[in-house]
Amino acid sequence: MASMEWQADWGLRGRMLVTMVLLGVLYVVAIAVLWELFTSVLIIVVFFGIFTFAQVFYSDKLALKSMGAREVDASEYPQLHRMTERLCQQADLPKPKIAVADSNVPNAFATGHSKDSSAVCVTTGLMNTLNDEELEGVIAHELAHIKNRDVMVMTIASFLSTIAFLMVRYGMFFGGRGRGGRGGAGILVAVLVSLVIWVISFILIRALSRYREFAADRGGALITGNPAALASALRSIDDTMERTPETDMREQAEMNAFFIIPIKKGFIGKIARTHPQTEKRIEKLQELERELHT
Amino acid sequence: MGLFNSIKQALGVGAEAAATRDADPEDLFGMSTAYVTMEANLGYRPTGDAALCFSAVESAGFNDVVEEVKAILAAGEEDTGTVAEFREDSYGYRWIVLEATDFEDLVTSVHFASDTIIEGRYGSRLLAAVFAFEATERAGAETGQHVYWVYSFRRGTYYPFAPKPREERNERVEFKLESVLDGELTVEDDRGYWYPLWPDTTGSHPWE
Repeated sequence: MASMEWQADWGLRGRMLVTMVLLGVLYVVAIAVLWELFTSVLIIVVFFGIFTFAQVFYSDKLALKSMGAREVDASEYPQLHRMTERLCQQADLPKPKIAVADSNVPNAFATGHSKDSSAVCVTTGLMNTLNDEELEGVIAHELAHIKNRDVMVMTIASFLSTIAFLMVRYGMFFGGRGRGGRGGAGILVAVLVSLVIWVISFILIRALSRYREFAADRGGALITGNPAALASALRSIDDTMERTPETDMREQAEMNAFFIIPIKKGFIGKIARTHPQTEKRIEKLQELERELHT
Repeated sequence: MGLFNSIKQALGVGAEAAATRDADPEDLFGMSTAYVTMEANLGYRPTGDAALCFSAVESAGFNDVVEEVKAILAAGEEDTGTVAEFREDSYGYRWIVLEATDFEDLVTSVHFASDTIIEGRYGSRLLAAVFAFEATERAGAETGQHVYWVYSFRRGTYYPFAPKPREERNERVEFKLESVLDGELTVEDDRGYWYPLWPDTTGSHPWE
């Protein structure tokens, strides 16, 4: 008998777990090595750490602002609000803020580090491109990101990577005022170590980001019970994206990591993708749709 | 639960788990005593309407289950006089609207319908059960004003919903309902989950 009991995607969970464990190991080893080298580096790490986290907590509003999005209330977009409310009810989430960005590029993203500070943003282009069912699918995908706390997970995952990156960029600057005997040479080693950490963690984080997208697709499709609608939404977003003028794309390129489908900007390479290929995502959704009918 | 939730979030299955969690229809029976308190202590009497809201799935299996519910409720109509009507609202959600003179028949029918859907393994599609009440002279509100108790299947909790014209909520009334019925019903304590269910036109029921 057909039913709504879905098979768990253990492969995806496993890959996600392995990636996170590898990141964790990398970070622990990194801290140990740096500690071994010298303690002064740790002061820099702590300094950058505070800086990064402060930035993170301002970034909720920043993400909306950089997209030119503004929060809208129910009187302005009643349909969008009600649609989101029902989906939240299904996803067992309090209703997030809803924002709309005036842009022809059809896209959506979710921000916020906690359930209470979260917001879902859609572009006017998205609402024009998709039908109700597809829009529902996309919003459910974003709600799944909120439910899975992906902003927080990715922030924690990238935390040391960001510091390593800052070390590579500005480490030399600190080197000039090296503390005590170990001075400049020590900083050079720290910069090299940071470079290695950064490169490895970059690859791992991108992989993790792709797995989270698959998970949000799954979550979204199970919230609406309609994997086909999300698949067709992804397809039309992808198609429109290819037709949209280049200028729009450049404008939004830096927001890529947050988007439902990132804008393609030349060849970034498979391992550097934050999102899996749309084809693969649609394939996964088709599997879910099949499960629904068997 | 905290640690368990964190693990689910870390694995990215939080959304999946919440969307597929099954519902427990037994909580619905809480309503069959709560309505007495509503009338005796607050002056709100049942209008004789209740409704079950769920999202549809495009599959043959799901349609079979809905047909089964229809058959059960049609049989019930002959026994108890409970009238059932199937509707779809402008958001594509399905409603089973029930009408009965006896409130306990209403509760039983809502329970029957939701239990059949859960048995058919589509329990995760159940959104809410809504019970309608209206103010009598004793309520200290405008007579005939509608208030609702909404049971959220996802949360397993109840919350009051007192709509005012122009999509506003009468928070004073909701507060009163919450204060008096809390304990008798498992009232949702996080107001962030008190989702409104606005009707398509003001003044009518959420399912209209």
